[in-house]
Amino acid sequence: MEAAFAAAIVEKKAYGCVTSIVLEMSKSFQAESGQFLHILCGIQGERILRRPYSLFDAASGSASLLVKRAGPGSSWLADREEGEEIDCMGPLGRPFSFAASDRCILIAGGAGIAPIAFLSKKMSAQGIRPELFWGIERGGDYDLLPQLLREELHAEIASQDGSTGYQGTVLELLKSQELQGIDAVYACGPRGMLIDLAEMASRDRETIMQFSFEERMACGIGACKGCVVPASEPPGGYLTVCKDGPVFDGKELDWRRLKDRTWQ
Amino acid sequence: MAAPEGPNLAVEITGINLRNPLLVCSGTFGNGREYCDWLNLEGLGGIITKAVTLLPCNGNPPPRLWEVTAGLLNSIGLENKGVEAFLQEDLAWLNRFDLPVWVNVAGFCDEEYVEVARTVSDSGMADAVELNISCPNVKRGGLQYSSSATEAARLTAMVRDAINLPLYVKLSARTADIKEMAMAVEKAGANGLSLINTFPAMAIDVETGKPRLANVSGGLSGPALHSIAVMAVWEVAEVVDIPIIGMGGVWNWKDAAELMMAGANAVAIGTLNFANPGAVVEIVGELRSFLTRKEFSGVSELVDLTRRGGIT
Repeated sequence: MEAAFAAAIVEKKAYGCVTSIVLEMSKSFQAESGQFLHILCGIQGERILRRPYSLFDAASGSASLLVKRAGPGSSWLADREEGEEIDCMGPLGRPFSFAASDRCILIAGGAGIAPIAFLSKKMSAQGIRPELFWGIERGGDYDLLPQLLREELHAEIASQDGSTGYQGTVLELLKSQELQGIDAVYACGPRGMLIDLAEMASRDRETIMQFSFEERMACGIGACKGCVVPASEPPGGYLTVCKDGPVFDGKELDWRRLKDRTWQ
Repeated sequence: MAAPEGPNLAVEITGINLRNPLLVCSGTFGNGREYCDWLNLEGLGGIITKAVTLLPCNGNPPPRLWEVTAGLLNSIGLENKGVEAFLQEDLAWLNRFDLPVWVNVAGFCDEEYVEVARTVSDSGMADAVELNISCPNVKRGGLQYSSSATEAARLTAMVRDAINLPLYVKLSARTADIKEMAMAVEKAGANGLSLINTFPAMAIDVETGKPRLANVSGGLSGPALHSIAVMAVWEVAEVVDIPIIGMGGVWNWKDAAELMMAGANAVAIGTLNFANPGAVVEIVGELRSFLTRKEFSGVSELVDLTRRGGIT
């Protein structure tokens, strides 16, 4: 029987606006890239919902997250110290899936690097050498993380201020590469980036698209239907990010309705 | 004095025997399947399933959730697969457990409510129907009935005639006088009441000036709602003779005991399930400790205790 569990922070490192947290897990813990931990961030009763965090890495006995300070919940989590225990559920959600024969590119925007970096490691372990592109706003935002991922995962960086890597957005970087023969595109990042990327990638109908989505979430296990995205089938229907996703095949989603969302 | 084996947690309401008085609220527990990996369903007193409508319902556009201080706004909009699939896939599955099931029934007009309730009753797989006339998230049905005692009573009588199960009516505190509403549906044939539904509420993003929810407004649940629920139960318990399931922002065993002391015969846990899937089972244990500490022989002694002068 699954259960919520307490996991101790065994390592914590700040990289500018994000903090990497390594949690000590049970030896039986196993997770795929794209899955998330659903974490209780703070005093029960004041902030009431858990927050989903995509795994940045996971192995038997440990799990890593990348926490970006975006509000009181994430700031609370980023402020925890080594030795403190965190209340987690997981791993939850549908992961990325890939085939060893694919020529694939990985694209991340901002803190969306977490599941993409994990995917890159999983692919490397299977002998695949994906090309990873990561877009950030300013070179300094993530401190040494771009440099680390450049060395470790051969990531190509785009920064909008041009201070690190290519000057421009990650999609502009991608276009500048004139990539040919791509079988699959995997991405996580801001909603607008995913929409633009889907438009680019869908020009070639054969290209597999897998995108990890983010949405405000309550239960995390498909019960409340709170965290939905528009589905292509049935017309007008929805899929839950927590259970049906967070990773979706591009064809499963209704991109027209996704584009129409102007609320946030 | 408490019996040697500990206080009796079992309660009986409208002929349904519950092993303990803690249920789970409609919409916060799916149809049980989603949670069966997280706790033993037979540790619950009962389950109230997510609202079901006659036909599949897509629900409202996202964003559907917004967290506020000590509360949650939702505008799910009754997303569900329709009564036929619900019976075949979910209710049939739930029936393998020794667990009383209330089915929350919603609709967009009189006939739909009646048809869904009749179908559920005829299936023989439910223990009770909970009539959802107070959903704040649909334009037709829902709140339209709960804003008028006459309308609520009319629908209650129609559904009462169509089913062979205990009928609970779920009321909103967003009404001029909840006592009048409660008395009207009791007179129309309701066998029990669920108090209270989420409260209509709204939040705005000041950076954009736009509503946080795509549906503009939603229903408020969570601790922020709790004391409103206590007052509603307190007022209604005085004027009706039918059982009340108290619900609204229960966050710990004290909140559950409080609703019972205000007059509820049973209590349902809602939004807390999201933060802690094992909450109900934990609260049952804590309630047992409280009863033992206070030397109550059974949990039913808490019901309406405050009106009877409290613990003497």
